[in-house]
Amino acid sequence: MGKRDIVIAGYSETPIVYQSGRSTYDLAGEALAGLLAATGIGKEEINGLAVTAPLSESPNPFFPAYMAEALGLTPTWLNYGGSGGCSATGGIARAASAIRDGHCEVAVVLSADAPSTSWRANYGAYRSEFQDPQGIQGPPATFGLLMSRYQHQYGLKSEALGKIAITQRNHALHNDNACAKFKTPITMADYEKSRVIADPLRLLDCVMFCDGANSFLVTSEERARSLGLSKMVYPTGYAEITNLNGNKPCVDITQTGFSAIAPMVFRQSGLTAKDIRMFQPYDDFTIAVLMKFEEFGFCERGQGSDFILDTDLSHKGTLPLNTGGGQISAGQPGLASGGLNLAEAVRQMFGEGGGRQVDSPKNALITGIGVIPYARNWGISAAMILEA
Amino acid sequence: MTIDTRPSDIKPSRVVPKPSVYVDTTPFWEGAKAGRLVLQYCADTKQFQHYPRPVSIYTGSRNLTWREVSGNGFIYACTVIRVPGPGLEGRLPLAVATVQLDEGVHILGNILNAEQGAMAIEQRVELAWDQLSSDVAYPAFKIL
Repeated sequence: MGKRDIVIAGYSETPIVYQSGRSTYDLAGEALAGLLAATGIGKEEINGLAVTAPLSESPNPFFPAYMAEALGLTPTWLNYGGSGGCSATGGIARAASAIRDGHCEVAVVLSADAPSTSWRANYGAYRSEFQDPQGIQGPPATFGLLMSRYQHQYGLKSEALGKIAITQRNHALHNDNACAKFKTPITMADYEKSRVIADPLRLLDCVMFCDGANSFLVTSEERARSLGLSKMVYPTGYAEITNLNGNKPCVDITQTGFSAIAPMVFRQSGLTAKDIRMFQPYDDFTIAVLMKFEEFGFCERGQGSDFILDTDLSHKGTLPLNTGGGQISAGQPGLASGGLNLAEAVRQMFGEGGGRQVDSPKNALITGIGVIPYARNWGISAAMILEA
Repeated sequence: MTIDTRPSDIKPSRVVPKPSVYVDTTPFWEGAKAGRLVLQYCADTKQFQHYPRPVSIYTGSRNLTWREVSGNGFIYACTVIRVPGPGLEGRLPLAVATVQLDEGVHILGNILNAEQGAMAIEQRVELAWDQLSSDVAYPAFKIL
């Protein structure tokens, strides 16, 4: 059994909106106010703050301090999460360490971003010389390459990817925070005729950038109880890895960082794949979800398509998948997106899933993905197990 | 996969990268001017690496040189970009591949003759040059 001294004792999430016209700070404020309202604690209790580097405010190297000032917080521990979609789970893990080391007692892990209103990121580095001339700026090209290789090595059934898209869309229909654009059901025929973006990647395999924010209250169980909080979940496993096989010139791009960290989170928590009650994986593209089923041992490498087709992934099923619709059907709030899958896991475990509530929500496996590197798989992988 | 011939009435406008914004990449760009593909090479472990780095990815040392490669290899992964984006004006559909060079390194490149035959994984390719401007060419590949 993993450590059970630190808890997530509250969460909040704003609606996910396309081109909201609002700033990251404004969305963050809504998330903080929502967290205070949901937990009933006073702002003065918060002395730790972890924020996620957003696409919309990335030119500002002092973003975390600006955020603390904007929110009127005076943290004794401040963390800047630069691992994209891994920053939310990573922020929880770092807050837990900081609390154990006495740097703060009550931390807020806050992710907000508004890239569909204001995109100001510039990745710089090698890209202008070695990636942009070939026209490979965006993630779809890299995921097209990844899918082509996976298909070559293992075979890929498009109806399996379509099932992920359809299942998650059905879940989004029950999610009041899901982007309005995704509030209609889709069929396999819709999936099969959605346009190809980068062969064999289709439009309905992909996320759409939106605006939104989420936040989590992290503290010791003891402190949570003294604050009068009774709803809480325990992060009993966390692991991350960046730049898998970073010293190799020709990597197998179908091997993800999760192959390295899945055993770590299972060992920490004492759970195995068959113990997992629900799966809330970072879903920028459907293929990433498929590959994670394999990497966590829900099925063998290369068997992802058949596993998906043979498994009930609905909120009433044996392995509920992204029960809020995931990013693909709720919308991707920029780099705050890692908190979207996490918020849904906490919501379910608090019994607040409404029309999509999972029975006996005793645990959840959540993942994050960050950054698209050069001719590799994705760059950062993170995984967290929450237990009741 | 196959792609249609790109419309001839659209003139692609290409950005010519500024060299050496990240590390000193002069040998790559000088080589390209002479029609040679020159990549970074770790002198300690005798292995290529691409893209260029500030240190050897194998040892962390800065004992790096540059060497010409054949430009021969095979397609490791491939896709066709079909939707507009920055830098793609007039270039769609755009064939892109991860090429595994015979020298043991992956490089991203466009496949310039994908419309003349099916582009597929394992297919052999050779070096080709994509003209960015009248005097700057960028390495690309052609299916053999």
